Amino acid sequence: MSNLEITFVLNGERVKVVTAPDALLVDLLRDTLGLTGTKVGCREGECGACTVLLDGKPVNSCLLPAVKAAGRSVTTIEGLAAADGTLHPLQEAFTEEGAAQCGFCTPGMILNAKALLDANPHPQEGEIRQALSGVLCRCTGYGKIVAAVKTASQSRK
Amino acid sequence: MDKTDAKDQVQVLTKTKIDLSRLACAAPAANAVVGQSLQRTDDLLKVTGKLKYQADLPKEDCLHGKILRSPYPHALIKSIKTDKAKSLPGVAAVLTAADVPGRNGFGAIIPDQPVICADKVRFVGDGVALVAAETEKIALEALKLIEVEYEVLPAVFDPRDSLAEGAPKVHAQGNLISHDKLRKGDVEKGFAEAEVILERTYQVPFLEHAYLEPDVVLAALQPDGVMLVQGPMQAPFTTRRNVAPVLGLPINKVRCVQIHMGGGFGGKEDSPIDLGCRAAVLAWHTKRPVYMSLEREEVTLQTCKRHPMIMQVKIGASKDGKLTAFEGVIYDEQGAYASLGPRLPPAGGSHVHAMVMMAGPYEMSHVKVDAYLVYTNHPYGGAMRGFGAPQVHIAHEQAMDELAALLGISPLEIRRINAFKLGSATATGQVLDQSVGLRETLEACEKSFGFSKRFKQAGYINPKSSKRRGVGVGMGWYRTSIGTFGDGCGANVHVHEDGSVLLFTGITEMGQGAFTVLPQICAEELGVCLEDVRLVKPDTDQVPESGPTVGSRSTTLMGNAIILAARQVKESILEKASEMLMVPVSRLRASQRKIFDCENPERSLEFKAVATACMATGKRLIGQGWWAPPMATLDKETGQGNPYHVYTYSTHMAEVEVDVETGEVAVTDYVAAFDVGKAINPKALEGQIEGGVAMGLGYALMEEVAIVQGYTKNLGLNNYLIPTIMDVPNVKSVILEMTNNLGPYGAKGIGEMPNIPATPAILNAIAHACGGRVRSLPADPEKVFWAIREAGGPPPR
Repeated sequence: MSNLEITFVLNGERVKVVTAPDALLVDLLRDTLGLTGTKVGCREGECGACTVLLDGKPVNSCLLPAVKAAGRSVTTIEGLAAADGTLHPLQEAFTEEGAAQCGFCTPGMILNAKALLDANPHPQEGEIRQALSGVLCRCTGYGKIVAAVKTASQSRK
Repeated sequence: MDKTDAKDQVQVLTKTKIDLSRLACAAPAANAVVGQSLQRTDDLLKVTGKLKYQADLPKEDCLHGKILRSPYPHALIKSIKTDKAKSLPGVAAVLTAADVPGRNGFGAIIPDQPVICADKVRFVGDGVALVAAETEKIALEALKLIEVEYEVLPAVFDPRDSLAEGAPKVHAQGNLISHDKLRKGDVEKGFAEAEVILERTYQVPFLEHAYLEPDVVLAALQPDGVMLVQGPMQAPFTTRRNVAPVLGLPINKVRCVQIHMGGGFGGKEDSPIDLGCRAAVLAWHTKRPVYMSLEREEVTLQTCKRHPMIMQVKIGASKDGKLTAFEGVIYDEQGAYASLGPRLPPAGGSHVHAMVMMAGPYEMSHVKVDAYLVYTNHPYGGAMRGFGAPQVHIAHEQAMDELAALLGISPLEIRRINAFKLGSATATGQVLDQSVGLRETLEACEKSFGFSKRFKQAGYINPKSSKRRGVGVGMGWYRTSIGTFGDGCGANVHVHEDGSVLLFTGITEMGQGAFTVLPQICAEELGVCLEDVRLVKPDTDQVPESGPTVGSRSTTLMGNAIILAARQVKESILEKASEMLMVPVSRLRASQRKIFDCENPERSLEFKAVATACMATGKRLIGQGWWAPPMATLDKETGQGNPYHVYTYSTHMAEVEVDVETGEVAVTDYVAAFDVGKAINPKALEGQIEGGVAMGLGYALMEEVAIVQGYTKNLGLNNYLIPTIMDVPNVKSVILEMTNNLGPYGAKGIGEMPNIPATPAILNAIAHACGGRVRSLPADPEKVFWAIREAGGPPPR
């Protein structure tokens, strides 16, 4: 199988990369493009640490063939803060509420929460929990993560 | 979070003999840094994805290391052929036991685990050969080309079988690693005095830490002959202590560098020793950097687990609920290798810790415990958030509820009658002389949760539902320290002429917040702000010996060392300021970058200006602190002594809903109260509480490493279940600050305590809700379903 060249929008910028046809998106992001904010915890779609947004929807990048990103838009944790470094309200809220402990699940949590708030700016607690149920956290007990998403949703007015 | 008015209440019974004049806990009237919920120093990196874990660092020039593992739980190695694997293009090394340059063994306490097995394998996952290759793929190919001939041996999987006459020997010296004894008073007499006696057996399985970051290590031989071992590790000094003899090097030729961990929970005390020794041997032979990472399934297969225990309990009480005697037997299953299990005098070891704590935080005159630590052909047990304590709390807290039911008194009443207070003597005869807020945590919990009222209201949640609601309580205590010589720890503080500070400690960050809390203590003591202190990350070449980051010891023990180090520098600062202000040192105070005259606060100097003046006049701006708790004692024959210097206390209350038709359990409400001494960073502390409760919930309801005839069946996170956001309720934390004389600003350890009473609180709530009690964990729907049937079926409506 020969390598393929694909083009997609990554964190708002067009990128053109060569990838093996069987490569996974998470490896393309981490190894080829150097975006290591996307984490690998299980490689089986269970832990959610590898979550990225594909056309705004959360996906486990450890299960997605890289070629599936062709022609689409991918957002990783590195793409959330503004170019001048201003944090996204969710990033602000996660620091304010103490929602990150070891930090390994944090990118996945924040990206799932972003997809939720983009679709539903003022979710109920149950909706927040449902939206984040695909990401495991072993440190926090989740309470401060829920609080952070609530805080971010309120800051949006 | 509630902070009660118990704040600033000092609870001390006796002065310790240790000179604490330099550690007086009479903190300044208002702490500017300590006690504040300051944002974590590494948060910004975490939320932006910029924090680098070991797997995120460059590995372009690295070889990839892989381990060939035993397919049998117990077998002799008859022959190994590596020629085919060695000839595969891209393979740099295929190593067997003969290639280990030094000691072919590692282990936190006893080096009984081979780096590469020579003649025998003892569990499925034991390392038989090591491969290093240009790519991971080639390394995996090479593993398949290694031919090993085994002779399968009979294996043993239960600690009681393992102790039986004629059982297969896991190690040549026999299967009993240690039998330890606790003898207080005369249990025969105590049971004779009892009017009610309960006998029960409780059992808990192996547990997986399930930290989200899989284990990974980088080993690289430096041009000067120093072996660098780098990666997530809780105990860089223990890793160094193992890698050095494995390579035949002195300790000063091994350098361990800790990279931020994606969770540890005790597991990354052991696993970096295992991976570090193996990667280092590959790097030694190939003279190339070797990167070794485990897949999730390998983490579950290879690394240590929480010890399973079978716990027999006999407990007696008088009719009025006063406990008269406790007798316990613990079969602590160590698995194939000793790891952190064995007794490390005076009071180290999982079964020793379990033994010390088994009778619970209750006053009793007569206690007898026998604790057996036993080899089997299972994966090996190591530290996991509580190290022996979560197991025995599951026993004594359930026994207390079962006994209360026999006596016809409430779960709160039996605890109120018997709980430790200041001056109580423990099962080891230790008189608790520092901050014992146990009873206060019970009352604080009751006030917030309303247990007594809710306890009377158990029943179906509505007339049509198959769900019943119930409440449960769990009480607990936990040490601050590890009870061995390994508790000593050092810190260096460097102040620079511009007032900025470097703090050097070997305490590691795994998410618990050490890299925020430790600089907070340093800043408070010097009188600067948190952002003025930069913490130098643990690197055994740069930081003083600190012991391992375990045992809820970091904030408290290292905090004291930091205070001592900071005070050496502060002495210079205050002397210089005294000269500059013409005010005696005794009138000066340092706070928030200013040195001021207490009697005339407008007369002040910038900390920076004083530091500059110190530098210009050759005054010392470097401090080194060393602190170790009062030496632990524990008699080998009687288990009597003072094993740990101070304890944290806690009460948890949980509400559950149990579906009596399906056995499903949901935890619906939760309050946990703690006597922590002093909350250095209340928000970070609350994070420890909430996370610990969630982990205790997993232990109660779903977690178990399922091993059948030596083979682990649930290697992935798809079938080893941990609590999700849908399983964990909002946890309300109540923090009581009953300061003690032996911790920084009065603080006690908190890392493990929240995990411990959570499990029995939930189990007790289940029993209350449905009448069925699960005594062999986890209380998954099937076990709850059958427990209800054994108790006579779903209660009538």
